[in-house]
Amino acid sequence: MKRTVSLLFIAALAALLLYVVANMPPMGDPANPTATHVIPRYLENAEEETHTENVITGIILNYRGYDTMGEVTVIFCALAAVLAVLGRERRGAIEGFVDRSEVVSSTIVRTMVRFMVPFILLFSLYTIFHGESSPGGGFQGGAIIGGSMIVFTTIFGLAESSRRVPQRIRAALEGAAVMGFFLVGALGLLGGGEFLTYAWPKVAPGLQPSLVVWLTILVEVGIGLGGAMVLTSILFAMIREEEIATAS
Amino acid sequence: MGTALNLALIVLLLTTAILAVTARDLLAAVIIFSVYSLIMALMWQRLQAPDLALTEAAVGAGVTTVLFVVTIFKTRRREEE
Repeated sequence: MKRTVSLLFIAALAALLLYVVANMPPMGDPANPTATHVIPRYLENAEEETHTENVITGIILNYRGYDTMGEVTVIFCALAAVLAVLGRERRGAIEGFVDRSEVVSSTIVRTMVRFMVPFILLFSLYTIFHGESSPGGGFQGGAIIGGSMIVFTTIFGLAESSRRVPQRIRAALEGAAVMGFFLVGALGLLGGGEFLTYAWPKVAPGLQPSLVVWLTILVEVGIGLGGAMVLTSILFAMIREEEIATAS
Repeated sequence: MGTALNLALIVLLLTTAILAVTARDLLAAVIIFSVYSLIMALMWQRLQAPDLALTEAAVGAGVTTVLFVVTIFKTRRREEE
């Protein structure tokens, strides 16, 4: 009975969704409303208004500032939820199950990880700093830093990697990233513009393009480092097993 | 050439999606889901969305896979019937 009802429900939902998809404007049609109003406006004015060469970054970090604010808040809330359930480690050394694994990682793996991690970090910095001129940006770069932390933690253990990136650094960066984002966003409002626009008509009618670019990069770096620390903290909270008694 | 590649990607995407949902071994499901993300990243690139492709590859195929594996390690590996 239950099965039949859920199957019927899924079938009805699928039919509805397929009907809607069939009635959507065809993808890539130049007569679509998005293609006649929104896209031309972005493509024609984005570089001039946002001073970013990569239009995507201009849209995410300028035109759609409120969307990005929601995303930043969601990521921060995810961390807060994980920490509320699992708890933040106390300051000092901690141990996770990777530290007590019976399989010892071989010299080849350790050497490769030691060799690779700096390059992964370099690539993530490239992704973050070139977000305004090429694909990528804060979120992507931050996730790559988080990935490198995962690789490092898997091989060298939680104790070692939490010593490298201690909690006080993570907590400070997580908070600072969110605060910095809201601060730069609010500066746009105070300056007489919109949230997260870097044009401040009241303060300075013609803001230097270079300053706008630097502010964009600042926001990217904030999102990148904050996101990376959030991912690292979530990983640490999840694999943490016990505190080492000598700590704190 | 382009159409053939797109078709192959879509078939692979659907196959991995169904396998990820139906797999009883949750660790296998997570690995298949990571493959799904990787194919999705390729599709984003084919749709000329390199920003999304980067995000999908880093977050979908990388970070979430590890978080899922950690969760399985701390709970149970087999799905109960």
